[in-house]
Amino acid sequence: MPGEPDTPIWLIIPAYNEAAVIGRVVADVVKRGYNVAVIDDGSIDETGCRASVAGAIVVTHPINLGQGAALQTGIQFALRQGADTVVTFDADGQHRVADIDSLIGALATNNADFALGSRFLGGAVAMPLSRRILLMAATWFTRLTTGLNVSDTHNGLRAMTRRGASRIKLRQNRMAHASELLDEIARSGLRYVEVPVTIEYSRYSLAKGQRLTDSLRILVDLSAQRLHR
Amino acid sequence: MIAQIGLSILLLGVLFYAWTEYSRAPAIGLVSMVVAGAGLYFVWLPSHATWLASLVGIGRGVDLILYVWVIISLMVMLNLHLKLRSQMELITALTREIAIANARPASAATTL
Repeated sequence: MPGEPDTPIWLIIPAYNEAAVIGRVVADVVKRGYNVAVIDDGSIDETGCRASVAGAIVVTHPINLGQGAALQTGIQFALRQGADTVVTFDADGQHRVADIDSLIGALATNNADFALGSRFLGGAVAMPLSRRILLMAATWFTRLTTGLNVSDTHNGLRAMTRRGASRIKLRQNRMAHASELLDEIARSGLRYVEVPVTIEYSRYSLAKGQRLTDSLRILVDLSAQRLHR
Repeated sequence: MIAQIGLSILLLGVLFYAWTEYSRAPAIGLVSMVVAGAGLYFVWLPSHATWLASLVGIGRGVDLILYVWVIISLMVMLNLHLKLRSQMELITALTREIAIANARPASAATTL
């Protein structure tokens, strides 16, 4: 293991076959002095290597499990490292590093345990209409099922306190984890706050993003989970 | 009579299976028990099945029983699906521990 963490803030970045961009994304956040853990979700490319060279600790799933599983691994890893604050950040380069401080600041200012990034309160650069419609539908569905009044349910940029992170136990390995996470926040009864953030879409991030068929699978996954313990 | 005994044995098997599954997946266990119980009843009282079938718009009692059997099969399939999900959760937990135990530090070139 590397030396002791110098700040109790841990950034966790789930990544699957992101070799093309992961180096730049990690280098940008490492420069700010955060502890960075990249959860390499069984990539078959150079993702782990490039993240490591750029300055991240790399936690590698021997097999591909999905983004939800990678996030949970990251949260558990950060907590075991003694993190006071855990920030989740996407690997595809669509988040702004400057927004991390706003999220962490919002936790303290609002005495909240979760700060959730919202592109609909902030901005979305070059977001296609189809993506906007899909996200609006997802938001409507999640509001209905969790009772949380949030404006952006599928935003990978979030910050949570140690207390908040300890309450998150994601069982949805794949993309349904975003709704599940909000469900867990609602059940925890802890305070949450939404923070405006900017998402910059690129051709690369759009190609990696979710489609309509994925949302159908999310619905099946969420329904199946309610049927068993 | 032979068919009735055979079907009853099978349905009793389903009933027992549903009962053992009840603690893990209550919804599926309960529905399977009710459906298997209904199947058992109609195997021995087919005239009641015919009466019920005509009541819900199905021609013959035997068709109704067939439909019940199809429903049971679907329930078993769903239950298998849920079992596979539980297995996946175990695999995930194992993978997670292996990953965390083998976390590798940033390359020396950048940490020095």
